[in-house]
Amino acid sequence: MSLRFHWMLPKGGEVAMQTVQETSRVLTTKSTSKASLPDMEGWLKFSRCAEEVGIESVLMSFSRYEPDTLVIAAALGQATKKLKFIVAYRTGFMQPATFVQQVNTLSGLIDGRVALNIVAGSSTEEQRGYGDFLDHDERYARADEFLEICHAFWRGNNEEVVFDGKYFKVESGHLSTPFMAPDRKAPEIYVSGHSEQAQRLAQRRGDCWLRLIDTPEKLAPLAMRSREQGIELCLRLCVICRPTRAEAIAAARAMLPDEETEKQERKILSSSDSQTLKQALAAADEVGWMNQNLWAGLVPFYGSSSITLIGSPEELAEAFLAYKTVGITQFIISGWPKLEEMNIFGREVIPLVREREARKFAADCRG
Amino acid sequence: MNLRFHWMLPKGGEVSLNGPQTPRDAANYRLASTRAGSPAPRPDIPGWTHFGKHAEDAGIDSLLVSFSRYEPDPILVSAALGQTTSKLGFIAAYRSGLMKPTTFVQQLNTVSAFMPGRLSINIVAGSSTAEQRGYGDYLAHDERYARADEFLAVCHSFWRTNGDVNFDGKYYQVEHGKLHTPFFARERGGPEIYISGHSEQAEQLARSKGTCLLRVADTPEHLHAAVARTRKLGIEVCLRMCVICRPTRQEAIAAAESLLPEDDLGQYERSVAVKNDSQMYREASQVENRWLSPLLWTGFVPHYGPVWTTLLGSFDDIARALIEYKKIGVTQFIMSGWPELDEVVTFGSEVVPRVRRAEARL
Repeated sequence: MSLRFHWMLPKGGEVAMQTVQETSRVLTTKSTSKASLPDMEGWLKFSRCAEEVGIESVLMSFSRYEPDTLVIAAALGQATKKLKFIVAYRTGFMQPATFVQQVNTLSGLIDGRVALNIVAGSSTEEQRGYGDFLDHDERYARADEFLEICHAFWRGNNEEVVFDGKYFKVESGHLSTPFMAPDRKAPEIYVSGHSEQAQRLAQRRGDCWLRLIDTPEKLAPLAMRSREQGIELCLRLCVICRPTRAEAIAAARAMLPDEETEKQERKILSSSDSQTLKQALAAADEVGWMNQNLWAGLVPFYGSSSITLIGSPEELAEAFLAYKTVGITQFIISGWPKLEEMNIFGREVIPLVREREARKFAADCRG
Repeated sequence: MNLRFHWMLPKGGEVSLNGPQTPRDAANYRLASTRAGSPAPRPDIPGWTHFGKHAEDAGIDSLLVSFSRYEPDPILVSAALGQTTSKLGFIAAYRSGLMKPTTFVQQLNTVSAFMPGRLSINIVAGSSTAEQRGYGDYLAHDERYARADEFLAVCHSFWRTNGDVNFDGKYYQVEHGKLHTPFFARERGGPEIYISGHSEQAEQLARSKGTCLLRVADTPEHLHAAVARTRKLGIEVCLRMCVICRPTRQEAIAAAESLLPEDDLGQYERSVAVKNDSQMYREASQVENRWLSPLLWTGFVPHYGPVWTTLLGSFDDIARALIEYKKIGVTQFIMSGWPELDEVVTFGSEVVPRVRRAEARL
């Protein structure tokens, strides 16, 4: 199977921004930021380009600083044709039956172009603002029950859903609106997180484990384990692609922020209790360059998901093939500015990847 | 202020895009919409958009998008239809026990940002116990109202301050709640909130947390005292009814009679009504005389449920009746008709102009 490439949906107002510094978390989590407002014009422009250059889906992130992901997908889906939406949602905020009703409705509104990125929670502080007072480990236990009930609804077969758990109870559950897609009875589910609990949740209830990129060597055993468990592995990363490696590195260095932003961003990162963030920050501080093309230098400023694959189109195509060789199948990518980088990636890198995939396929067939 | 007219969003597949439909067929489709195999639970953007455009032309203010386990989610349906229509408002019905208030506010604020000034909500404390349990809600009728009160208190707190929300109640706790996406409306910090129900608790909830009490139509004489009481507290009153308007009263009555049950369809609705623990259902099943006034008829109610209380008559009759409601303080109506599309077009072209002329003379 061909590698699948997804992209992060830009935040509100981001498509019109010129510099990476404007898109930093320090700025987009300020209450005056345009990130809190839906940006139909920018998103439509971005979505049409994504469809054109061969991006399969966009990931919509969930936080208290941004508009609701399910609602955005319902609105944006009216104006797009092929693009899928990977909707991030946290599991403690509504009854599973209500969530399934919303997801199923969304599928019917946009021809099944919806997948889910299930997140057990975020910082304790942010969770409490939503009325959720469970700790990290319990949030995973609840997410497991939550998804078990969701799957019971999606299995359907006209059977009533009955569940009696620690966090949720359902009696004679029934929803008339089914999940509607040409090829599926339930959405594809990405579970993200680096903790042991996240991996277990992905394996038990998900289709795909979503984690940060690392080197192919480090990921090889994890990818193998995931495949044995019957789930895919999808990597979050950033890409900076330029005609030459030197130009790409220069572009990366130009993205380093001013000192004040750096200080504030570190404060945000160190207050989170997420394993993912802690590991990413450690990588950035200790190594910087994780291999020839993989750089963690932007992490302290733009967050854990900004580990960046840097290089010429040929180098990047080779790098993606190396991930494919160890068993990784999907990628969710970011870049700065998002639209321009996606267009470069779609036009320059994807065709090289497809060429190499075809060559390898032909070689494998010859044995 | 002029009377405001809203309409029910038809079920999925109910609006016929290929030629005319008889009132009987439209009503039967609606009645069968909760049965297994009905296409009604599937979102229907083409049919709804077609209906929405006619409703806009007819001078309809908003569409009520109802909530039940037999239908698609009203918040997402509103979000999508907001993109395919341009002026129309949406009143999204929601039950208060099914998600955290913070999440609810985040969803509503997001929808409002896509269509400023076009989103309202109809808060329902609950439905039948069986249906609530299917959503994981095990509270009894009265407790559901206590929870709805807390739910709306938290929502209002977000809409008022949009900042640091703290709440420590019996059903909800929120600590330093903050949402960056605000609610978008003209001259309002939050949505208009319709509270429906006939119980004392519903009325109380409307008064303390709502902007409008939504109830099934009755005669102006019966409603007079309750409407006056509610208006005095600064809360509007909106009536839910079906409408059958025809050039003459005889034609309207004939149309109504053609809709009486001829098979067992009504049986099913009756069984739903018996199981329901809502006050509205109990009252409706006790009515003896089917003509509440020369224009207000409850002939469908025993068969199809209380919201089938019907105003029927000639265009002039209907306009006059609506003005009578206006005189006692009712300000809004949510209508249904059979088929919805034909009735909204007739209502818009024949009744609304008559009402506006009469209002100008008041």
